[in-house]
Amino acid sequence: MERPVPSPELLDFIVDRVSVGVLVVDRDMNVVLWNRFMETNSGRSAAEVVGQNLFKSFPELPATWLERKITNVFVIKNFSFTSWEQRPYLFHFRHNRPVTGGIDAMNQNCTFLPVKDANDEVVYVCITLFDVTDTSISQSMLRNALRSLADASNRDGLTGVYNRRYLEHLLSQEFSRAQRYGNMISLIMLDIDHFKNVNDTHGHLAGDDVLRNTARRLRGCLRDIDTFARYGGEEFAVVLPETPWEGALIVAERLCQAMGSHPVTFGELALPVTISLGVSQLVPGIPRYEELIRRADTALYQSKFSGRNRVTVYHEENTSSSEASE
Amino acid sequence: MSIAPLTSDQTDALQEIVNIAMGQAGDSLARTLDVFVELSVPRIRLVHVSEIIKTVYGMVDDREVVTAVRQSFYDNLNGEAIVLFGSSGCLDLAVLMGYASELSTSGEQELLLDVGNVLIGACIGGIGAQFGVDLSFSPPSIMAERVVLETVLVPEKLPWEYSLLVEVNFGLENSDFKSHLLILMAEDGIESLRQSLERFMAAL
Amino acid sequence: MSTPITIVDDSSLSRKLMIKSLPPGWDVEITQAANGVEALEAYRTGKADVMFLDLTMPVMDGYAVLENLKREGMNSFVIVVSADIQPKAQERVQSLGAMAFIKKPVSTEQVTKILKDYGIL
Repeated sequence: MERPVPSPELLDFIVDRVSVGVLVVDRDMNVVLWNRFMETNSGRSAAEVVGQNLFKSFPELPATWLERKITNVFVIKNFSFTSWEQRPYLFHFRHNRPVTGGIDAMNQNCTFLPVKDANDEVVYVCITLFDVTDTSISQSMLRNALRSLADASNRDGLTGVYNRRYLEHLLSQEFSRAQRYGNMISLIMLDIDHFKNVNDTHGHLAGDDVLRNTARRLRGCLRDIDTFARYGGEEFAVVLPETPWEGALIVAERLCQAMGSHPVTFGELALPVTISLGVSQLVPGIPRYEELIRRADTALYQSKFSGRNRVTVYHEENTSSSEASE
Repeated sequence: MSIAPLTSDQTDALQEIVNIAMGQAGDSLARTLDVFVELSVPRIRLVHVSEIIKTVYGMVDDREVVTAVRQSFYDNLNGEAIVLFGSSGCLDLAVLMGYASELSTSGEQELLLDVGNVLIGACIGGIGAQFGVDLSFSPPSIMAERVVLETVLVPEKLPWEYSLLVEVNFGLENSDFKSHLLILMAEDGIESLRQSLERFMAAL
Repeated sequence: MSTPITIVDDSSLSRKLMIKSLPPGWDVEITQAANGVEALEAYRTGKADVMFLDLTMPVMDGYAVLENLKREGMNSFVIVVSADIQPKAQERVQSLGAMAFIKKPVSTEQVTKILKDYGIL
């Protein structure tokens, strides 16, 4: 029995009506085929577009990149793809979804197919566009939810700066990076002087406000690459990537001065707040990141011990302390 | 399930077929970038999944962080191809590909996807062509970004017990750019490959 | 007198394919070499008036063979047979003294044409 063969009319009908964008271009980037999906979404009929140069009809296309992409298919005779994850769309089409999650155009996955003649030469490139806006919306909603969830679990509830959990996670990551690449890292541990007195004299609400204001003021003194966290109680920490202890010392002195220079206000009250700081640097031979914390803590206690409101740098033999300059 | 190893004649034939396919892949990359591409001798091994990390380590021999692009192929031959890119040299690649020298994250991803697609398409397609079969490819995707190798190939997450590991290295002249192409085939893929090899050798 | 030729390739299958692609009726004495070191040995013992040379090989690759041959006077007609078909690879081997370049997979037509072009056949 003879196998039924689909008629050319049937194939034309399918190509035209399938809910996928189909366009075909020749070597000169002239459009050879433009199906109904493309017509509907672009608002340009096949009669307008076919026979014309693609980039003349659509000057908003990223011409340099796209022409290279298509040319490569002609030269290499191989499939090529684009994904919405790297490039949200090829053609700027509107989408018809009420809830968009901030997505302003139809997201597209595209495939570039070489169309070969009998001599194995590529004569056309067929581009298919798949509408993946739904996928993209749900992915970005999921990603946002995960991100805010992750962020919330990394933050300290009172001050809004990073918490100890995140700090330790970051330190352990930075530590293993440093072990692989020999990066420099310094750590500052700092503690509010006589914080117990604030709580005892003015109450816990004042104490909370001092913590919040101190955190805000210190955060403002740091670079974007530094990570500032509340380590616990009235103790804070700063991770300074790519920074030797000399640099960390300068930062620590700036922090010390920022607190000591003017008081923190709580309602009508102006409470003088000072901090004591300890600096340590990751050097070869430190076996774990916890040791980096221990060393900065040791230097911090040295600062407390020698009179507070000052910075001490941890050195293997002796820890040298410098008083905040007025 | 255990699997019969390839005979030495089969391995030799496969080696030569991969050699030729790799030459075509190198040529495609060279045409894309207009630069001389340095090729290694492909290494082929049948390995148990538990050995795979160790074997790939032995092949890749550097422990730097990698970005991995994967793509699967099917119809007549089926398996997965993974291209591992070293972290250095991406900038050279970007300049050669005509991308702006300041690369955004998605720009870099797109670049690596393109190059991965060229290498995989030409190499696997070239193997198919020598067997006289047509293959289909899935779109490439970023499997992992800037991670150590252990996180790319986690044995527990790999769906097969044995794998045919084919490794090819591509480097660019006067550049730190380095990439490794791994072709992974599961048991059924290996069996259909074996049949293709037998047909190929019988036709000689 | 038959022409001494050496076929250099690390793959025995590939050497087999090469032998099969030699023009029928060409009177040759064939030596096979599996790497560059064996190729140089064959050359030094006069077994390689014509050499079919693969590029990517373990131990010593084709480029190194060409460099050595150049140093030793290049008394051989070297045809590079390679899967590395980049235009720059072809330029490079020709600058190293190779006379011709054949793309893998090899065919009798390709080989015959080159040998005829250079008057060897």
